[in-house]
Order: sequence, then C-alpha cells, then structure tokens
Amino acid sequence: MANNEEIAKQKSKTTNSKRLTKKELRSIFLRYMFLPESAMSYEKMHGAAWAVSYMPLGNKYYKNDDDAYRRLLKRHSPFYNTEPQTGQLVNGIVASLEEQIGMGNTNISEEMPVDVKASLMGPLAGIGDSLVQGILIPTLLSIAMGLSKGGNPLGPLFYIVSYAIITTIVEIVSFKGGYRLGVSAVDKIVGESAKRLTNMFTVLGTIVIGGLAASTIALKTTVKIPFGSQTKPLETIIDGFFPGLLPLIAVLFTFWLISSKRMSANKVILVLTLVATVGVLIKFL
Amino acid sequence: MNGALFWQAVLVEILGYLGAVDSIVMGGVAYGFYILGRPLVAGLMCGLIFGDVKAGVLCGLAVQGVFIATMHTGGTSSTEITYASYGGIGLAMATTKDPAIAVTLAIFIGQTFGLIFYNLRMAGFSYFNHRADHDIDRFDKHALIMDQVVWPQIVTFLVRAVPIWAAIYFGRSAVEALLKVIPTEITSIITVLGGLLPALGIAMLMNMLIKNKLQLIYFLFGFAMVVFAQMSTIGLVFIAVLIAYLVYQISAKSNSDKNSATPTESAVQNDDEYQDADLF
Repeated sequence: MANNEEIAKQKSKTTNSKRLTKKELRSIFLRYMFLPESAMSYEKMHGAAWAVSYMPLGNKYYKNDDDAYRRLLKRHSPFYNTEPQTGQLVNGIVASLEEQIGMGNTNISEEMPVDVKASLMGPLAGIGDSLVQGILIPTLLSIAMGLSKGGNPLGPLFYIVSYAIITTIVEIVSFKGGYRLGVSAVDKIVGESAKRLTNMFTVLGTIVIGGLAASTIALKTTVKIPFGSQTKPLETIIDGFFPGLLPLIAVLFTFWLISSKRMSANKVILVLTLVATVGVLIKFL
Repeated sequence: MNGALFWQAVLVEILGYLGAVDSIVMGGVAYGFYILGRPLVAGLMCGLIFGDVKAGVLCGLAVQGVFIATMHTGGTSSTEITYASYGGIGLAMATTKDPAIAVTLAIFIGQTFGLIFYNLRMAGFSYFNHRADHDIDRFDKHALIMDQVVWPQIVTFLVRAVPIWAAIYFGRSAVEALLKVIPTEITSIITVLGGLLPALGIAMLMNMLIKNKLQLIYFLFGFAMVVFAQMSTIGLVFIAVLIAYLVYQISAKSNSDKNSATPTESAVQNDDEYQDADLF
C-alpha cells in the first residue's frame, strides 16, 4: 500500500518525530474505552470506532498530510470485535505501532496494525468474555446478592464499587501493558507459550461455569409418582441420587443445539420457550 | 396525567439508556452495561426513583437471580438485559412492587420486545457504518464523528428510552388489568423459562471455550463440585485456579520434554516462560 515514494513524501511532510505524549495516549485510551460500541452493528461491530479513537494520533502526525491521515482512518474502520475492557491490550499494542508509523519508522508497515487487530480479536474475546462475564461478574454478583438479602442496599453498592475498581484497573493495566510490549506482545498472545496460557484460562473458565450452571439453572419436575400406598415427588427421588440432573440435561441440550446444530441464540430461545410451554402443559414442569 | 409517574418513567428510561450495551456515556460497557445494566443495580436505582429502596432491591435481587448468567458475546445476546432490568423492575415498582411480578415482566420484556428492538437496531446500524466509511473516503472528520458517534447514539437513546418510558407510563393500568385475567399456565411457563434461561448464556460461553468435547469433563467437574460437594462459587474459583495452574505446569513440562532433543529450542522456550510473567 505504501510505496517508497509515498513514504518519502510522508516523511518530508511529517514535522513531528516525537513520541505520543501522556495526554495523547490518555485521549486514545479514553476514546477506545467510551466509544467501541457507539455504532455497533452485526456488519461492523466496533468498526470505525477505532478510526475515531485514533484521531488524536492523526492530528499529531498527519496534520499536513491528508492522504496519510485518511489511510490511518481507513485502516481502522473494518470489522472488529472483542471484549472491550481486556481489549485495551490490543489498543495499547496498536497505539505503539501507529506511533512508530507516524514517526516515520519504515520497518513497520501500515498493514501491521491491521494484521495485529485481526489476529488478536478472536483469542482475546474468548479469554476476555469468559473471565469477565463467566467468572468475575457472576462471582461479584453472587457475593452482592448474599448481601442484598432482605432488601439491603449494601449488596448493589458493593457490586458497583468492586466492579468499578476492578474494571478500571483491568483497562489501565491492559492498555499500558500493550503499549509497553508493543508488537512483541502479539507472540505472547498467539504464540506457542500463549497457547498454554489460553488453555489454562479455558480450563479455569470451564470449571467455574460448570459451577455457575449448577447454581443458576432452576429446573424442577412437579411429577408425583406412586410409592407404595402414597405418592412421592419425582424431584425428591432425583435429588436423592443426582441433585441438579434436570439443569444438567438442560444445559447440555442447549450446548448441543448451539455447538453441533449451529443454532442462533434467538432460535434457542424459541426452543426453550417451546420446552417450557410443553413441559407446563403436560404438567411435567 | 400523572405528574410523578411521568418523571419517574423519564428517570428510569434515562438509566435504561445509560446501562445499555451500546451506550457510550458511562465509559462504554465498563460502568454502563456491566454496572448500571445489571438487574441488582437497576433494582436499587428504581427503588430510589420510586421511593422504596427495600422493595427495589428485593425486585432487583429476584430478577438478578434469573439473569446472572446472561451472556453478550460476539454481538449476540442471550437476553436483552437492560430492557429486562429497567422495563421489568421499573414497571413492577410502578405497580405491585412484588418481586415475582418483576421477574415475570423482566423475562417477558427481555425475551420479546427487548430482543426484537436490539436485533433490529443491530441490523439497521449498518446504515451508519456505511455513512462512516463514506465519510472516511471523503476525509470528512467532522461527519465521521457525527455518523459513528452522535447520530447512532441519538437513535440508540430513542430506541431504548421511548419503549421503556411508554411501558412504565402506560403499562401501569395494562399490567394491573392483565394480572387479574392472566391464566396461571402463562405465569408458570414464564417462571419455568426464567429458570431455563441461564442455560443459554452458559451454553454460549461453553461454545466459546470448549473446542474439544473432551473438555466437557472440566465443566462436569465444576457442576459436580457444586451439586454434590455443596461448594460455593468463590470456593470453586480457588479450586479451578489450582487445577488450571496444574494443567499449565504439565503442558509446560511436556513441551520442554519434546524440545529436550534440540537444546537451543528449549532455551528459547525457557526464555518465553520468563517473559510470560509480564502478562500478569
């Protein structure tokens, strides 16, 4: 994309070979924190929110070079999606790459930030979503729900304060770490040793959501079966040998619909509604 | 006209926008979706607005129980939690203040209107994305900010606030009338569905994590620890960290075994291990 002539032109036009200031970095950090889902659609997800986030960088390095500025915005507008809070890591890496490009370092091509984003968004979404939505939030919420018994506002207040502190730290540490490590962070995230790390988080996440399934899915049968001269609820008998058997069946069935039958979440909701309706009407649930 | 209810509904609708996944005001998802959007927090907020904190928190607690494993991954949502929170709890607080009613309303609103509005908006916003692309081609920075941030946020506000406001302001009498005539079967179906919903969120997460069906063994282990050993969530997190660490150690060992034939490679491998510490 950038041939030598263009780069030479860009270099001559670039009056600025200084690194990004703290203020400019903070501006990129905050824009990415606030904006990623500003115009979210299935087609582009975070998309051009990146372009808006990198305007402070463009204003610094490409003030007199509209063409380079336009290329900066252009390469930060395709489809992009990841977990936005831990995703500050990618923002930090890209900030360090774009800084080098802006300063005229010809060793870094303009495709590099694009490739970095494309290769990191998948793995990071998997780890980020399972850590945040699968572990952190349910854990904090279950503590908060314990504190809320009887209508005590302490529960929600605990959740507000604890999550706000943790997410702020996560965002800042991710961004700073990404910026400091730069492109070497990519190997750490998609390289061989990172595969072990990803695997470790996968194991952690999978165990915890197993527990989450057991404590959150509520499914009981109302069937009573004859037991000698009286009747006994079937649920008591199931609980005797396998508590939570019905919730387990429910979650494995739903997982099978999504993973093997490739059903969308909306279709699964229809299936679950159907199961609930039929279950209630035949007086099983 | 009911002045107090009008303004209460306005406050709830504003929170319903601030707590949405696609709202930018509260630091993106950080303080919005993941804090204000949670039903437990929505319960506190609605309690403050309707002047009954205790009832609000109780409604929030009940609704949160159903939506604790709600997932929002890859733009797909297992439920529209913000419509459910502020529509359901807000409407319940405006009527009976009964937690059970709040749960029924939240599930009903979240799984029907909420998801429909959300999916329509997600599809429709391609329009703004195309305009933003066009603005970049024309190199119009001001228009890019308008099309990527300002206009989409105005539309998001309207799509979220107006239905929530209308539901609370006009839904009050409708809900009271409906509660009298609704067959018990419908309420039971919604209750059963509420119990089943966490299964969808969890299955979505499993689908992201589990690449090899053998890994289901970890899932079953976590499940068994809770149902058979009565372990709490926090206790399970500690056990899970231990097991994950052991898995990491073992995979590191088997890797260096493989590399022991070529000493140079194993040296590189060790280097990587030291650098991994930077990630934490």
